[in-house]
Amino acid sequence: MVGIVDVVLPIISLVIFALLTLPVFKAIRKTQHRTALTLIWFSAVFLVSGAAVANLASQYYSLAPEGTALPFLNITLTGTPLADFSSSFMIDGISIYMAIMFIAVSAVVLFYSVFYMDPSKRPSERYFAIMIILTAALIGAVFSGDLLTLFIFWEAAAAGSSFLMIYKKDPVSLNSTLKYLVMIIIASAFIVFGLSIVYGLTGSLNFWVVRQALTALTDKTLLVIAFILIATGYAIEAAIVPFHFWLPDAYTAAPSSSAAFLSALIDQGSYYVLIRVLLFILTPPGVLNWTFMLAVMAALTMIVGNLFALIQSNVKRLIANICVADVGYNLVGITSVTALGLTGNLYFFLMGGITTALSFMAIGVINHHGFRTFEDFSGLGKKMPFVSLALVIAGLSFAGVPPFGGFMAKYLVFTAAIQANLSWLAVIGVLTSVLQAAYLFRLVNYMYARNPKDEGRIKEPKRLLIPIFILVAAIIILGVYPQIVFNLITPVVNQLQFIP
Amino acid sequence: MFPSLLLVFVLPALGVPFVYFTGKKSPRAAAILVALIALVNMILLFTTVPTILNSSTHEYIERYEWIPILQSEFTLFADGISASLAIITTVLIIVAALFSVDYMKEKKNLAVYYSLLTLLSIGLVGVFITSNLLLFYFCWELMLVPAYFIIGGWGYRDPYRAAFKFFIFTHAGAVFVLLGIGAIYMVTGTTDMFQAQATLLTISPDIVRWILLSLTAGFAVKMAVVPVHMWLPDAHSEAPSPMSALLSGVIISAGAYAILRLSLGTVFPAVAGTTFGIDFLHGLTIFGVISAFFGSLIALVETDIKRIIAYSSIAHMGYVMFGLSLFPSSPIVGTLTITAAITGTVLHLVNHAVSKGLLFLSAGAIMHQTDVRDIREMGGLAGEMPFTAVASTTAALSIGGTPPFACFISEVLIFVGAFEVITTDNFLLLPTALMLVATVISLAYSLRYLSHIFFGQAKSEVKKKIVDAPNYMKAAMAILVILVIVLGIWPTFFVHLIQTVQFI
Repeated sequence: MVGIVDVVLPIISLVIFALLTLPVFKAIRKTQHRTALTLIWFSAVFLVSGAAVANLASQYYSLAPEGTALPFLNITLTGTPLADFSSSFMIDGISIYMAIMFIAVSAVVLFYSVFYMDPSKRPSERYFAIMIILTAALIGAVFSGDLLTLFIFWEAAAAGSSFLMIYKKDPVSLNSTLKYLVMIIIASAFIVFGLSIVYGLTGSLNFWVVRQALTALTDKTLLVIAFILIATGYAIEAAIVPFHFWLPDAYTAAPSSSAAFLSALIDQGSYYVLIRVLLFILTPPGVLNWTFMLAVMAALTMIVGNLFALIQSNVKRLIANICVADVGYNLVGITSVTALGLTGNLYFFLMGGITTALSFMAIGVINHHGFRTFEDFSGLGKKMPFVSLALVIAGLSFAGVPPFGGFMAKYLVFTAAIQANLSWLAVIGVLTSVLQAAYLFRLVNYMYARNPKDEGRIKEPKRLLIPIFILVAAIIILGVYPQIVFNLITPVVNQLQFIP
Repeated sequence: MFPSLLLVFVLPALGVPFVYFTGKKSPRAAAILVALIALVNMILLFTTVPTILNSSTHEYIERYEWIPILQSEFTLFADGISASLAIITTVLIIVAALFSVDYMKEKKNLAVYYSLLTLLSIGLVGVFITSNLLLFYFCWELMLVPAYFIIGGWGYRDPYRAAFKFFIFTHAGAVFVLLGIGAIYMVTGTTDMFQAQATLLTISPDIVRWILLSLTAGFAVKMAVVPVHMWLPDAHSEAPSPMSALLSGVIISAGAYAILRLSLGTVFPAVAGTTFGIDFLHGLTIFGVISAFFGSLIALVETDIKRIIAYSSIAHMGYVMFGLSLFPSSPIVGTLTITAAITGTVLHLVNHAVSKGLLFLSAGAIMHQTDVRDIREMGGLAGEMPFTAVASTTAALSIGGTPPFACFISEVLIFVGAFEVITTDNFLLLPTALMLVATVISLAYSLRYLSHIFFGQAKSEVKKKIVDAPNYMKAAMAILVILVIVLGIWPTFFVHLIQTVQFI
């Protein structure tokens, strides 16, 4: 039986480790083997929390013997089941999948950050601690069982990530972080207002109670208002066009390791929340029909994201705009509301996250030498061959060129769109993918066709190359043999298809 | 069962790091390693031939689990058409690798070049030997990225520009292929070509029509028929010559193969017999005739040695397109035995690959030895480069369609097929006559090519002391010279192999 302890253990352990990081680093700095000890410390963090997640996953999966559907587990703090206003957790397949993904990707990004941020400098330990806490908040968000718990954990992650952006404390990052925070606060205002209406309508915030109450609802006016408010709030946080303007600024101004973390974890978390709340809680079948609106948003996001990416001259900003476009591709899968689309979404969370993280990590290494614009990237293929190779692979994955992971992700969401009679959306998606290939290959052209201003190879730091090439390997292996991930996803999708 | 076809995939994939590290030490050893891998692949492909010839279904199939939730199996199969094209592809890879030893000697980063060539060979061979649409698309795109870097990294003049054009054009085409594949999966629930074919027959022709157009448009870009040929002259002429040989011999043939296998073999039966089906085939005929004339006429006036050959590739894809358009348009009952026209078309792909490969390699040898590209500045080279002259003459005469060289036989077969079809379809009368005129033009540009380069007076612009091609180049060309003559005199092996194929 899965108890409350099993559920909160991953969250609590991460928070405790994060708090311990500060004194531990103080001690480490006094010793000789700083790098080794730092690595051991963070390995311990992820081994323990990873073990906690693995424990929960194995206990959860043991509840469903081979061939039976996975259960939805409600776990409350107070002990009374489905209490109306209690903080409760709910474990299902999707939350386990997301938690595993968050821990794994977060570990890779953190090890990159450790060498990127130089752990011997003073406030860097706070940066790492915040990263760990944010991972804990994200895991809390995916384990939540009612709208309020979800709101608290998710806003902690979303607003807390501003600390990662502002780390450099220069005017540009201050400016964009302020913009980000304002957007997040406006978004949470919308969400809270919407949630209060939902509570008034249904008398509860628990996922299942709300869902059941809404199916029985006769007058839908208030529900529509609440839905619009909540949808607006989450659309702002997921950077759906026309609410996307904060994202390129924030990601460009943030240090590259933060941008990698934000794009790989916070961004994917925001899609998760969007799917969970808007699709599976507030709009049970037959209650609201908003597929067309979602489809239009998806099309707009793909088009606008890619067009803005097309005109960028700063490479980091280009990738940040691709993140916006990726939201659109995710929305295509969300719109279709088919098993295939959901599979595509869940696979896209992983692949899109890894790909954006990879490109930000590669760009971080390159930016370190002052190369920022397309012009600066001239001849980079000769100067920094390994990082360039990683960036090219990330680009190919973005553009949906097999055998890299991005292809399978796009293939799934587009076929799902065709299945859901939204062929026009698939066509737009495919055409914008060609556009993506074009501008990414313009970048590749700069990197390989042009001659650098000054010849000579630049030494690439091996420590940063290791996490980068772990992600490259993941993109190739999961692209050629995606069944590894599908084995995890399929039961999840089957479970969500048969929601009572 | 011995996993022959799986090894064809696995060997080069595992070989890439070995090729890279060998290439760091000695580029020549890496080239020979690439050739050896391709040779083993060729032998593996030959082991499937007895099964194809003798089994009742005339197919050789291997299945492995891949992505069950998408109903996708890692299905590797070979029938007469795939086996012939895959075998000829491995020959061209061997030849390209051997030719590169001397040709690329002065270039840098050869370890990367040979690794890319190995990676490319997976896609080149793989595209012919799978019946799974997703795997097909994987290989289809795998042809693209290594080719981009080979053209860009080791090409001439402004190579990345040509490579970029190549990439964007063919990738845009590939995306339409992807849409078609996605639609096939959606309406049939399978990604296996043969299962899809059976299911598509039961589906309303209105949807199938769009799938057919989308797929064909995508493949036509790779095949480079007019009006989507724009990438070809640049890519073929700026690429290093071994790569040009592969581009012209294999990559555009893959486009033609895909039209035959997927557009016509899988999707077309569902609309056969309708007015749309007949119009579709007539459309292919028209594009074929236009390409043949366009390519031949420009090749007749072009002066750059490699651009002449590049435009002649467009012309020959015109013949192939014409041949494909002779696909039976009536509703198909039972099994369809392959017609003379389709046999001729596939045989022409084989023959064209060998001949055009040889022509590009000999042009590469000429450019390498003289550093001149403009044929007006050459002349009388036959005396200095007798071996290359023999190779070029063989290739150019084959391209021009003279017996006893390879392309003659297949062109004759295509025309025999055309006359068979004319008896039932009057529309083809004029196109067939025009195609016969186009063959005359192709002989004209071939002879112009030969006479400008090898005969007449030596021009003063060529000052360097010219010697004949080095040994590895000679060896590579010798293999193809022998093949062009043998295939011209004795095409029986491939004809037999191709004629075992049954659509449906």
